[in-house]
Amino acid sequence: MRLDEKVKIRQVAGENIIMRPAGNVADLTTVMALNESALEIYNLLKGSDFELDDVVKALTDNYDVDEPTARRDAATWVEQMKKGGLIVD
Amino acid sequence: MSTDATANDVRTYLIGGLNMAVQGHRLCQALDSLQGMETFAADGLATPDIVVEEATVPATPDERVLYTFDLNDGYGCCRMLTDVAGNTGYRFGSGSMLVHDRLGKGHVRLDWRGDLGELRYMLWLAYAHAALPHEAVPVHSSVVVWHDRAVLCLGESGTGKSTHTRLWLNNFEGAWLLNDDSPIVRIEQGRVWAYGSPWSGKTPCFRQQRVEVGALLRLKQAPENRIERAKTLIAFASLQPSCPPSMIHDERCADQLIDFVGRVIERVPVYRLDCLPDLDAARLSRDTIFSTL
Repeated sequence: MRLDEKVKIRQVAGENIIMRPAGNVADLTTVMALNESALEIYNLLKGSDFELDDVVKALTDNYDVDEPTARRDAATWVEQMKKGGLIVD
Repeated sequence: MSTDATANDVRTYLIGGLNMAVQGHRLCQALDSLQGMETFAADGLATPDIVVEEATVPATPDERVLYTFDLNDGYGCCRMLTDVAGNTGYRFGSGSMLVHDRLGKGHVRLDWRGDLGELRYMLWLAYAHAALPHEAVPVHSSVVVWHDRAVLCLGESGTGKSTHTRLWLNNFEGAWLLNDDSPIVRIEQGRVWAYGSPWSGKTPCFRQQRVEVGALLRLKQAPENRIERAKTLIAFASLQPSCPPSMIHDERCADQLIDFVGRVIERVPVYRLDCLPDLDAARLSRDTIFSTL
C-alpha cells in the first residue's frame, strides 16, 4: 500500500487536520485529525510502498513499545488511514 | 480573461465593516432595485476594500474547471474556474461570469447577463472572495441576539435553523434577529463578530449592525433534545461546511478559509444540538450557552 501524498495536513486550532473535499460535484467533506504519533508515522512512510510490517517497524524503531503492542497499533493506524481515504493501493 | 469596462456609475456599500464599491451603470441601476441594499449604502467612504466592476469577460483557452455545482431556484449549473494567472472565476449557465483578480486586492469583474436573482448571488460570491483576506466570511446561518451576544444557528438547509431562532425570538425577552441566512462573520483584533448583511434569504432582515459572537450552534433534527460542547475536530466540521462551499476547491482560498475556521473555533464555543423544533430545545441551548458566557 501507499499513502496519498496529495493530501494537505494543516495545523488548525492545535490539531493536525486533513480535509478531503469528496470529488467535484458532491458537497461532502471528510475531516480527520491525526495525533502527533499518527502524523509522525505518516511522515515516515509517505513516498514509498509499504506493508503492515513496515508500519510495525516504524513504531518499534521510533517508540518505546514492544512488538505485540506495535502490531496492534500498526493495525489501528492502517485502519485509520484507510477510513480517512489516505491509503491509495 | 480579458475585459473591456462599460460606462461609469458607482454605488458604495459598507458590509461586514468593509467598503465595497460597485462600478458600472447597469449594475448600479439593478442594485438600486434590489431589496436590502439601501440599508448598507454608505457615502463618502475612503478607498474601497472591494471593487466590483462591470465588465465583459470572454472565455480564455487556459481555463481549468475546479468545481461544478448547481444553483438553487432553477438557476442551473455554475462552473468554478481558474486560469494560468491564478485568478478565480465562475461561469453561470446564463453566460454570466465573475472573476476575482488574484493580484487586484479585492477587485472583482462582473459580466452580468441580466437576471436580478443571479446578480444578488453573484454579489455575494464576489464579496465572499474579496473579503476573505480581511478575515470576513459569509456563514450560512440564522443569527439571534440575546444579552448582547450573537448565537449563530448552523446546519444544512431545512434542518430548522430559522425555526430554532424564531423560538428564541418569540419566547425570550429582548431577543432579536440579526440575519436569517448569511451574516458576515469577521475576526477583528482577536474577537469574533457577526454583522448583518444584504443577504438574508427569505426573511428580509437587513441590519447595519454587528454583535460579538457568543456561540455557534450546529443543529440536527432528532427525536430528543441533547446538547454537547464540541471539541476541536467536531467544531471544525461544524463550521467549515457553512462557509461558502465553492471556496474550499480553490487551494489559495482553502488555506485562508481553513485558517479562518480554526481561528474562530479557538475563540468561540461550538455546540452540537440534536433537537426537536420545540421550546425545550431553545431553553436547552440558551441555558447551556449563557451559563458559560
